[in-house]
Formats: sequence, C-alpha cells, structure tokens
Amino acid sequence: MTALKGITIVEVAERPAGEYTAKLLADFGAEVIKVERPGGAPTRHMGPFRDGESALFGYLNTNKKSVVLDLDDAGDRARLDSLLARANGLIDDHDEAWTAAHRLAPDDVSAAHPHLVHCIVSHFGQGAPHEWQKLQPINVINAGGWAYHSPSETTHDKPPLKGAGRFLPDYEAGIDAAMCVLASLLRQRRIEPGKPGGQFIDISEVEVQLNRIDCVLDRMLAGDVEPSDERTAYDMGGPGTSFACRDGHIYIFMTTKGHWNALRALMGDPEWARAFREDWLEFDCTQANVDLFRRHFTQWIAQQEKIAITEAAQKAGIAMVPVSTAADLPRNEQFAHRGFFQEAEHPVFGKVSYPTVSYRMSATPVRIVSPAPALGADQEAAR
Amino acid sequence: MPVPSPGGPLSGIRVLEITKVWAGPYAGKLLAHLGAEVIKVESATNLDEMRAYGGVDINAAPYFLSINQEILSVQVNMKTAEGLDLVRQMIARSDIVIDNIRPGAMERSHLGYDDLRKIKPDIIQCSIKMWGNEGPLGYQTGYAPCFASLSGLTALVGHEGETPKGMNIRYGDSTSGACAALACIAALHHRERTGEGQFIDLSAVESMTSLVGDSLFAYSVTGQVPQSDGNFHPEICPHGAYPCQMTGWISIAAATEEHWQALCRVLAADDLAADPRFATLALRLENRRALDAEIAELTAHQDAADLADQLRQAGVPAFKSMSSIDLCSDDYLWGRQAYRMVTDHRSGSRPIIGPSWRISPDGPNVARGAPLLGEHNDYVYRELLGLPQEQLDDLIARKVVD
Repeated sequence: MTALKGITIVEVAERPAGEYTAKLLADFGAEVIKVERPGGAPTRHMGPFRDGESALFGYLNTNKKSVVLDLDDAGDRARLDSLLARANGLIDDHDEAWTAAHRLAPDDVSAAHPHLVHCIVSHFGQGAPHEWQKLQPINVINAGGWAYHSPSETTHDKPPLKGAGRFLPDYEAGIDAAMCVLASLLRQRRIEPGKPGGQFIDISEVEVQLNRIDCVLDRMLAGDVEPSDERTAYDMGGPGTSFACRDGHIYIFMTTKGHWNALRALMGDPEWARAFREDWLEFDCTQANVDLFRRHFTQWIAQQEKIAITEAAQKAGIAMVPVSTAADLPRNEQFAHRGFFQEAEHPVFGKVSYPTVSYRMSATPVRIVSPAPALGADQEAAR
Repeated sequence: MPVPSPGGPLSGIRVLEITKVWAGPYAGKLLAHLGAEVIKVESATNLDEMRAYGGVDINAAPYFLSINQEILSVQVNMKTAEGLDLVRQMIARSDIVIDNIRPGAMERSHLGYDDLRKIKPDIIQCSIKMWGNEGPLGYQTGYAPCFASLSGLTALVGHEGETPKGMNIRYGDSTSGACAALACIAALHHRERTGEGQFIDLSAVESMTSLVGDSLFAYSVTGQVPQSDGNFHPEICPHGAYPCQMTGWISIAAATEEHWQALCRVLAADDLAADPRFATLALRLENRRALDAEIAELTAHQDAADLADQLRQAGVPAFKSMSSIDLCSDDYLWGRQAYRMVTDHRSGSRPIIGPSWRISPDGPNVARGAPLLGEHNDYVYRELLGLPQEQLDDLIARKVVD
C-alpha cells in the first residue's frame, strides 16, 4: 500500500530541485510522468556515470515514468495538455521566460487546467529579476546565507562553502515543494463538487533556506540580536566540532558538567584536564578555554579509533559520534535495522543500494519499486 | 472563543504537538503555516526550553517567538493522571499527534501508537527521534550537529584538505521537522482514501542522510567514496566563492563556455581568456587551483554585490555570499514578504521569517505571533473538550492545568 495511490503528477522540471520534489511524491506512490526533451533530461547528462548511465539521474528519478515531448512542437505541446487534463498536479522548476514561452506560466495553467495543483520551484520565487532566475546551486546557497555561515567558526579568509554535494539547496526546496503540493492535493480531494480544485504554489529556494534558520535569523530581524557581517553569526559557541582520529573523524558536542566529567573519565583523567573548572562548559566557556581544550583533546583523540571510542563515549553519556562516510552507512546497524538503504535492480548498474527516506510509515512504507526509467519508456502514456 | 482559521490547504486538520526545542515545533509550524490548527501541549512545570533561553519572560522569549507563529497553546500537566486523561481527550479530537520528546517517554505516558489507536483508530502519529523510535541505537539521544555527523552529511562539507567541519552547527533540526511535516501530510492522503491512520517513525539522522542521497547512491554505483570537496564541482569550472572588498565574497559558477568567456570579459581579463591552461573545461578543471587564485586576485578589490550584478547582466551565474546583515536588510526579501509582520503580545507586532511558499487562490494567512503559555486554554477546554467553566477552574486550582 502506498500513500499517494491514485494521484498522478506530471513533471516538466529539468533541475534537481523539481526532480527531487517529484521523486518524493513518486516514492510515496504517486504516478509521476516525467516529460523529457528529445535527447533526454539534462540530468541524464550529468555525472557520475557508469557504463554511460548517470547515477544522478538514477537517483532522482526512481519510481517515475518517462515520456519524450518536444514542448516547442505544437503537437507535442497539445499532448502535454492531454496529460495535464487527467493529472492532479504539475511540477516545474524553470525560469519565467521558459514558462511563458511554453504556455506554462501560472495564469496559463490555471486557465487551461483549473483543476490542477501547479508548483514552480525557483531560486527567488516568482517575480524575481530576470537575470536572477538562471543560477547554479552554489549561487543559491550563497544567496540564502548558509554558505556564508558554513562551516561554523570559519574565518574571513576562507571561502563560504556550497554545502554537501552539488544540490543541497535544491533538496531542501524539494521538501517544502512536495509538502505544499501534498497539502494542496488534499484540498483538491476535499473541494466541493463543481469548484475548481487547482492552486498555484510558488516556492523560493532562498526562502526555504531562510526559514530553516528561523530561530537564529528571526531574532536578528526582530532586533533581539544584532545582525552582522560575521561569519560566526549563526554559531552557538562551545567546544563542539570535528576532530581527526586514527581512522577518520569524530564529532563531539558538550554543554554540561556531566558531559565534561564523563569525558575526563573516558580519557583516564589526564593532568591537563584538571586545569578546567568542573563546570567550565556552563560558566567559563571562554575562547581561551575552548582553544586549550581542543589543543589537548586533538592529541588524545588522534590516537583513538572512531567506532570504538564513540561507542564507549555514548555509553558514558557523551555526545561523541563518528563522522560517517558513505562507506560506513550501509554497515551501520541502525540504518540496517530501519531499512534505510533498499537494494534494487537497475538495468545498467545491476543490483544497487538506494538511500531512501527518514520517515518509516507503518501503513504506507516508501519503496523503490522501479528504477529510473529509460528515455521514453512510457511513451504510450502521452498518446 | 473560537479561534479564527487562517485558511489554507490544511484547513480543518487538527494537530496536537508534544514537542520541544526546534525539530518538533518546526514541524508544527509548517503545518500551521499551511492552515492546520496546531495545538501545542505545554506546562509551566515542564516548559519548552525555547521559552526559557536567556532567562527572560517565558511569554516573550525570542527563540520561542521566532518559531511558533500560528500555534495555539494549551497548558496541561502530563505528570498527573488527570492531565494525561485530558491529553487523551484532545487526541480523540485530533488528526495528527507529533512528538519529539525522549525515546520511550510517550510510551511510558501510555501515549504510544497502540494506546493512541484505542483513543482514535484513524490517528496519525509522528514521532521524531535522533535515530527513530527503536532499534539497536534507538536509546541514544543527541544534538543536531551529531545527527549531521552520523548521517554522512558532515563528511562531505569542509575546505579541501582539512578536517570536514560540516554545515553550520545550527543545521539539521529544522530540516528534520520539515521531513516530519511532509510525511504527516502524505499520511493524511492515505487516511482520506482508506480511513486508516498510521505511525510515522522519523529518524533525524536519516533526514540529514536523505539530503546527500545522490552522493550515497553514486558510491553504491561507482564504489568511490565521496569526500568533502570545498566548492569543487566536477563539471563546472570556475565554480567557487571568491574574496571581494572588506569581508565580502562572491559565488561564481561558469557552467558553459559562454559563461567563461563572459566572466573574463567582465573581469577585463583578456589574458585569462587567452591562457592555454584555461582554454577548455577539462583544462580549467585540471588547473583549477591556479585559476581560482587568478580569479581571486581580480575580484579582491571589487564590491561583491556590484560585481555579481555585472556578471548576472552578462549572463554569468553569480551572487554575493549573503551575511546575516545582508539578509536582514535585503529589499527584495522584504518586498516579497519573505519577512512579514505578525501580532505580538508585547509590542504589537514582530517581524518573522515567513513560509517559503505562496499559494493561490485561498492561500494560508500567517498573521498570529507565537502564543502566550496557555493562551488557548479556554478554546481547548471549554469549546473543544466541552468542559464546564467550574471544572476548568478546578483543574487550574489543582494545577492539573498549569
């Protein structure tokens, strides 16, 4: 059983932002018909590749169908209208010049298909200056503030970072977009007969980033805290950070006397640790103390192995954890227990392991039922 | 006494949240900002820490005000049997129950999914925990940066050649809340179609992992373990952040040959355009450190916002790296209502960070600020539960409602 059985979504998106939005819906069991340009979606041509096949495309398009339509061709554009006439939702992520040129601007869609939930994910929302509308994810995460403030404690001489992987702002926006589409589809189910059930949803990738830092940035907006050009403006202080250990990295987070006493015991109560007040984390957490702690701790932790020492730390009540790599995760007992990775056959890759979702649903579990489609594999859907 | 509905697509859905700090309240906020009626169960003797941070008035605590707009607050002491019974009565009138309290705490209060189902057979319960609700590591608790480290995300974020420090320490909690809200609405669809509720067991660690899904899938396909890589992009070069005047930085991504040529034009760098080391994308990638250094020299004395504007006008993807003061003073964001005013009990109004969405027609209205502790006791006890005033007065006197 799937949560979205009976829902049909058409995807004309051509960036990870919109493709991920539709993937989330497809993985919930919606029928997602991906409309690809002749030659295939741009992400089919983005690496990494194996045997000529894109792993990125393979990830972003699980459980979807593929039809090829040339939306510059009148016949194919009419075929899109036929698809939309029987769909519940439409997902797009193009700039406004493109949507206008293809009669897919919000007003065009609501006029032609008043029943449709229509979502456009864009960098800055509808109405942004034209030249702001075709950026790359690195520009978007810099525009949204997370780059400037990541990692914590970065000094002014080091560059802001793009975040994990290539598409972090796209994925964050995809969550909000999928959420709004589902909310609107629920309204569509409940609307009085005879009333149009369609809505337009305008998602701003930058505003998703602002919303995710609400309890820090809003206090600045409201004047509770001064905003600044400091790279540390989102930070919270304290000694928590990553450290190199013998076979990788660990992360430690400490805020209380209990944490400190437990760590001291774990380290065998070294001489240097006695220089600290027992409650220094709460009442004497100066930069000098943080620096002193880190200097000594760096030497000690460098001799430890990440799994053994973090397991011992957890048992002692210390929030010390491994910095997991992609290779660590499939071996992690908790990930295995929850079935986060699902093995499935891919026609080119063979048996591969798909990362899935963080929500285990008792009645409608998310399943990878079909791999990303071959180009035009479901062309009959558009006839 | 009735609470005005903000409208929106989730109108008519009632959510009870037993949540603290950030991830759980954030899930509630997103549902409220889509029009659901979200009731936060609170207690003066067991406060959401966000009401206490800074040691200020619990009804005017900045952290709390910045998250909990459009939320209703009801007081109940869940450490009493009577209090728990009142919570059960609220659950009987709710569609969704969200919690992010310690592993096992809901079950100990007889508020586990099996208990809730007996109260309301089609209830949707969403439990947000570090590692999910059970399993070999389910007993552990931690903090957002720990989740990010465990998730595989932190390992991918760092300056090249350095210990991966991960995203900013604040990253993670809110995203877990967003994943929870998403799953709750999916569950509403299933209930709408079949009449069946369900239990949603959310792992905050996995919420972070799901954001690096393409990197993990690529590892499964290619066998290559992805590393933290600064601002490197395997198919775009230059691709990075470059220093500007003062503390400014500019992000630039030359995704095509035209972008590269236009970048050189705007930077008045004919020599770069003609340099054989940078003649093709493959060569630029091979020599990217030298290229980044050359570009940094050309950007260092420019104003980040002005240069970004010139580059965008020339068709090159570029944007200033926005600091907190840039964000707070940005005319475009204010003009688009990315920030908006809500009611505030102390000063009349307060700016908040609005939702990332605009929905039309019949979009939700976000106008009410965060609630006073127990602001909606009357609505919940008198109207929703139908208790007589004398009974409510008695519950308050005996601190069952506290």
